Amino acid sequence: MNRAKLVKTFEKMCKKPIYRFLLYIFGIFTLIPAYLCHRKSKSNDRYSAIRQQVLEEFKTRKVQDALFEEALSQIKKKNSYFKKDISDDELKKQANKICEKNFQLMLNDETQKRAEQENISSVTFFMTLSRMLENKAFFLLSVLLSFPMYLLILIYENPYAKYIVERLFMMVFVLFGVTWLVFTILYISPMDPAMNILGQEATQEQIANFRMIHGLDEPYIVQLFHTFKKLITFDLGTSYLGNEMVSATLSSKFPVTLQVAFWSVLVSVSIAIPAGIISAMKPYSSFDYIFMFIALIGLSIPNFWLGLILILEFSIKAQWLPATYQVGNWLTMIMPAIVLGTGMSASVARMTRSSMLEVKNSDYILTARAKGLAERKVVLKHILGNAMIPIITVIGMQFGGMLGGSAVTEKTFNINGIGSFIVERQFIPDVPVVLAGVVYVAVIISIANLVVDIMYAFIDPRIKSKMKNY
Amino acid sequence: MASQQHDKDFYIKKVNSRKLGGSIEFTTIRLAKQVNFVVSILFLLNCYDLFEKKFSLLSAIGFCVMFAEYLVTAFVSSKIVKDVTGEDNSLSSSTRKLGYLLIPFMFLGNILMTISGFMIVKKGKTIEYQLSIYSFISTFSIIAVSCINLFKPYVSDTFFLGMGLYGAYTLINLATIVMAGKYTSAKKPDKKFLAFAVLGILGIALGNLFSFLMGIIAIRKYTNKNEDINIEWIDVVKRLFKNYMSVIGMLVVTFLISVSIASTLTFDYSIAIDNNYSALLLPPCLEYPFGTDEFGRCVFTRIVFGARISLLVGLVATIIPIIIGGLLGAVAGYYGGKKDNVIMRVLDVLYAVPGILLAIAIIAAFGANTLNLIIALSIGNIPSYARTVRATVMGISGQEFVEAAKACGAKNGTIILKHIIPNSLAPVIVRATMGIGGAVLSTSSLSFLGIGVEPHIPEWGNILKAGSAYLETNPYIAIFPGLAIITIVLAFNYFGDGLRDSLDPKLK
Repeated sequence: MNRAKLVKTFEKMCKKPIYRFLLYIFGIFTLIPAYLCHRKSKSNDRYSAIRQQVLEEFKTRKVQDALFEEALSQIKKKNSYFKKDISDDELKKQANKICEKNFQLMLNDETQKRAEQENISSVTFFMTLSRMLENKAFFLLSVLLSFPMYLLILIYENPYAKYIVERLFMMVFVLFGVTWLVFTILYISPMDPAMNILGQEATQEQIANFRMIHGLDEPYIVQLFHTFKKLITFDLGTSYLGNEMVSATLSSKFPVTLQVAFWSVLVSVSIAIPAGIISAMKPYSSFDYIFMFIALIGLSIPNFWLGLILILEFSIKAQWLPATYQVGNWLTMIMPAIVLGTGMSASVARMTRSSMLEVKNSDYILTARAKGLAERKVVLKHILGNAMIPIITVIGMQFGGMLGGSAVTEKTFNINGIGSFIVERQFIPDVPVVLAGVVYVAVIISIANLVVDIMYAFIDPRIKSKMKNY
Repeated sequence: MASQQHDKDFYIKKVNSRKLGGSIEFTTIRLAKQVNFVVSILFLLNCYDLFEKKFSLLSAIGFCVMFAEYLVTAFVSSKIVKDVTGEDNSLSSSTRKLGYLLIPFMFLGNILMTISGFMIVKKGKTIEYQLSIYSFISTFSIIAVSCINLFKPYVSDTFFLGMGLYGAYTLINLATIVMAGKYTSAKKPDKKFLAFAVLGILGIALGNLFSFLMGIIAIRKYTNKNEDINIEWIDVVKRLFKNYMSVIGMLVVTFLISVSIASTLTFDYSIAIDNNYSALLLPPCLEYPFGTDEFGRCVFTRIVFGARISLLVGLVATIIPIIIGGLLGAVAGYYGGKKDNVIMRVLDVLYAVPGILLAIAIIAAFGANTLNLIIALSIGNIPSYARTVRATVMGISGQEFVEAAKACGAKNGTIILKHIIPNSLAPVIVRATMGIGGAVLSTSSLSFLGIGVEPHIPEWGNILKAGSAYLETNPYIAIFPGLAIITIVLAFNYFGDGLRDSLDPKLK
């Protein structure tokens, strides 16, 4: 490991307050001995001596008073020009501030000048640290004692890792925010889950017992604290109804939702991208008008209605496809994928068209054509390639949203996915399930956004080079 | 030689298509022609049911009528093409007379042909003239839709009052069209037209956006001191009316607003909500155009009353987040720094949860009713509006005129209210127009899940939910409200598209 580079990164990180704070916390066992050492070496340091000397000299020459007078007269002139009246106290305060600043500047300048004449430089903390780390034993010990600090430095050195970790860090805050929001909404709700689950004829004791078991009798702060504790330990609790583990139930419903989302994205991309390309290559042609009209209709059709119509035509009248979801029958996946896919493909096709139209008239496309490239290659590699970023964004966002469960479509086709699970349980309201469901969806969507943002770097070299300097 | 010929052909083709694109007569008749063709094909396909092996006489008649209409429009259209691409680039008087042939088709329900007819008849069309036509069409459609009630065993007490009112307003509209043709010009309208302008403004009480706009424009033009200076927002309206599809979108929106208002007079609410056990699950007939549901309620009347609730929820659930999100976004974008960071991080929390899921959580907590639905949808929409406004404001606050205002000593509040917000309205308006459609979709989706509007209220999602249970035997209960939802969302989307194009400063 390159220790000099480590210290250099350390120095860079110290310029940012949050990182500095974290470094001080994580590296406390390394930094305290280093700091003590630094203090000791500084006290018998030639540089500080010179500084002291200059300070004495300035005092005898009354430099400070001269600076103060100058600042005072300047401020007075300024105020008289702007015709402003300021009290004497205020005047002196301002003058003092300016004077102090200038004095420090002069002092530093003079000290620097003299130190250069004597060929010495000031010893910074980082130099001391670097000197101490040269000692192998100390280095090993320090790695052992404060490895989180070194981990942080290593992450900071790699731009991708740094970007990802920073985003994940922000995500944690968002998750706590989401949990707080949803918990508070459900807490102030006038609905009583105890009443809904136990029924109208439940006795007072039964209700009190139910509330005690689920901790509903505790004050708001305590309940919120418990919820946060659960969030940190990844324990989503047990549902009120059926007393099942929420995390287990959610993960058992996840494969179905993932399957539906995957097939829908596949359907949408395979329709939308070619349609978008054709529309963009022949704008304002009949093709373009028809495709974009269909896309607009796709945006305006309610998912459940399209689902019902498909069921009516293909399940009831023609009896080709099963109307409700059956596990293990791939035919059941066709209609949900088409329903979700058309809604999605509408926005993807529109985005493909508009972003390709923007790129189409760039100079580099002209260059590509002038080189004599085949039209196919120009369109697919150069135009589509450069127009990919917004398209990927739309697809990524939609995929994330779909992983969160599309409650309406799942209800229409009776798919037992995450969306319909949350909807079923919100009637009670089953607080742990709704809370866990919303937090789960927030996590999924944040991760999807992060993945999309990282994918940019692989698709677009411009963003890649920007990332490297992040 | 051949290539030269090819170049010349290509050039002529381009010039012609540009001429035709600029001719409002052609764009209107073209749409009428295309729609007639598509609808007649749909009728043709519907004639014979493949699965049930049945021949439908009604569809056959529909096909014949629509195809005849298609032939008429195709004929007129070909005449117009010949005239416009011909020597003098304008319609001959004989072609203009053909317009009178198209106008009566409104009695067959083909309003596209009527619009086209009005456009062909008049030579120099001012914006007031065009607006009066659309205003007339929208009032006429209200009467036509209300007339369906005549087949019912009884009508509401105020039916004839309402019909009289709308009939009178139709005549006024007709007179306005004639007067607008005579007395308005690109500059100042004649003084005689002012009375009609005032009547037009009063039309807003009936939900007629077109006549309202027409009146405002005429009066604003009349009071304009310097005739050579164009009024900017009138130019925006003129650009909007060059985009025919977006005008059709606006027509549909206006029609739905008017129908929501008119239905209080001409429709009977009891038919929509009271059970009628003598008419359970009837198929579509003259008395019940869209059939009846499992409680014997008329689906058509329910859909008409559903427009009200959809528009209300859509509008309110768009306006509230615009105000809240817009203010937050403006503050964040203008001040930047810490304030920006705090506001945007808080909104990130809201943004992390998809709107529909947040709505589900809020409704889970406070119960399913219209007010909670509006609140839930509004909260979910705040962050996206805040982001839109913030991005726009950040662009504007760096510009010179804001610096100039600052140098003149304007306070921050004044700058935000007077300079920043008016200049950042355009993207917000466009976003909002599209947003209403989205809100309508969300409303009906939530109602479909049973957590939106209360089940007894006739809302489109509710009707669909009821219909989904009878999909096998009575599919029409589910089909028609879906078509209504598509129409309204599509209308808002087209209207929004047109608004975006006409507000786009690049085209100015």
